[in-house]
Amino acid sequence: MKTWNALMKKEWIEQVRTGKLMILSAIFVLFGIMNPAIAKLTPWLLKMMADSLAESGMIITDISVSALDSWVQFFKNMPIALIVFVLVEGGIFTREYQSGTLVLTLTKGLDRKMVVFTKAAILFLLWSAGYWLCFGITYGYNMYFWDNAAASHLLFSVIGWWLFGVWVIALMVLFSSVATANTGVFLGAGGGALAAYLMTIFPKLKTYSPAMLTEANALIYGKEEPAEYMTAIAVAAMTGILCIAGSLILIKKKKL
Amino acid sequence: MEMLRIENLYKRFGDKEVLRGLNLSVPEHSIFGFVGKNGAGKTTTMKTVLGLLNVDAGNIFVNEMPVTYGQTETNRYVGYLPDVPEFYPFMTAPEYLAFCGEITGMKKAEIKKRTEELLALVGLEGESHRIKGFSRGMKQRLGIAQALFNRPKLLICDEPTSALDPVGRKEILDVLLAARAETTVLFSTHILSDVEKICTDVAFLDQGKVRVQGTLSEVKSVYRRESYLLETESPEEARGLSEAFPVLQYDGGCRLQFDETACDVSAVLRVLADRKISVVKLERQEPTLESLFMEVVER
Repeated sequence: MKTWNALMKKEWIEQVRTGKLMILSAIFVLFGIMNPAIAKLTPWLLKMMADSLAESGMIITDISVSALDSWVQFFKNMPIALIVFVLVEGGIFTREYQSGTLVLTLTKGLDRKMVVFTKAAILFLLWSAGYWLCFGITYGYNMYFWDNAAASHLLFSVIGWWLFGVWVIALMVLFSSVATANTGVFLGAGGGALAAYLMTIFPKLKTYSPAMLTEANALIYGKEEPAEYMTAIAVAAMTGILCIAGSLILIKKKKL
Repeated sequence: MEMLRIENLYKRFGDKEVLRGLNLSVPEHSIFGFVGKNGAGKTTTMKTVLGLLNVDAGNIFVNEMPVTYGQTETNRYVGYLPDVPEFYPFMTAPEYLAFCGEITGMKKAEIKKRTEELLALVGLEGESHRIKGFSRGMKQRLGIAQALFNRPKLLICDEPTSALDPVGRKEILDVLLAARAETTVLFSTHILSDVEKICTDVAFLDQGKVRVQGTLSEVKSVYRRESYLLETESPEEARGLSEAFPVLQYDGGCRLQFDETACDVSAVLRVLADRKISVVKLERQEPTLESLFMEVVER
């Protein structure tokens, strides 16, 4: 437990002092505010452009926006937030391999598994805190401006997207125990996510793809039911656990 | 007791065989100089002891426990200082040392005491800046402090003095000398004067094998050969002597050198007296570690 606390403390100090926490907080807060702001500003923006649109034959009538538009923005922005997250945190293992800082820690007899556990935990915590902060801000504004009840299965859809982020973190951890540089992590995690997206193109494969969890718009518009997502959730959970288990095995014999 | 024993170690990188049946035995509480040219396999040997490299054949024991590749229990007994130690740049020196103590499960009070002790030992007390701004020498000293932190039985230092200026080198050597009381020190180097200053034992590594090993005096006595240096006042006298004794190595000036085995000293003295040659000095030379090393490597 002492070792766990020490490693977590070190990871936390690193996040704070290297400015990573700041960047991630800024991104998640910014998106949290932007989602409702864009929805709120859409009618005004269109009104501003009404004259020029009228010239090209488009006539703007009354536009009504609801919490749904804000949630659509939320799910549109989340991929960007996740990409930023991966770019900022992709070097969490490899930076230590390359600089040699991990060698000093491990030659003190530290269990290598502990390194995987703590780094995976800090990634999980940062993603979760950022994601739910962003959600909270959007939820608050939406509640103030409109009514969140407009979005059906809201909680289920946001949990689904959050789980997809956790799945990507598991990929990051797996590829971090194989790669020597962060480009390997980007390629591995990015490739994994891309493969999952490609699966969703084929109707037969779609239900098995963790990327299905990102298609939350169909849920909030009530076009699909949570039950249809259960297989994707199970696949994401299983493969995520396998990724972590795999990295625990791989790190044991990793050449440093 | 032996703190470290290496038996018949082989390691190859691609088609380059770096270690070819290396045997080494490091006695407890010794300061063991592990000497070899650049590329002789010193770092490779040390990394295998730490389980950081997989060996092709051979056994390594630290404190009588076998070393395994990757996760190895023996690292609990070891402190390691790499040639260029790297720390978390966002931490301060006391924070880093506290981190070292915490990950090995030391008690808070003990960590505080040990941090103060070691920072004083390496001359970094009162240093509150982050490691990011540390000089190479400061990093090397912090490196020793972290390596000694959890009182290892074996301290492994990879060329700790190579990159430092004379003042920095002396500081590191002093710290290693002080560390001997509580640990065994194995340090690799190609600076022979460092070995002569602080080592109790020495091993010469060449072409992937340990050629000679033992206590410093043992090694010196095995390779002791009486060598003499003779300096005359004028070059003509020296030249005359070199003609009388062709085995004498003549440097073209006033100096002549010879081994006792090659030439009898008394015969030379007799000629000096007969010809009334004015001698500036006649000196019996102690073998230096450098001359021994060169001899071992060139054989």
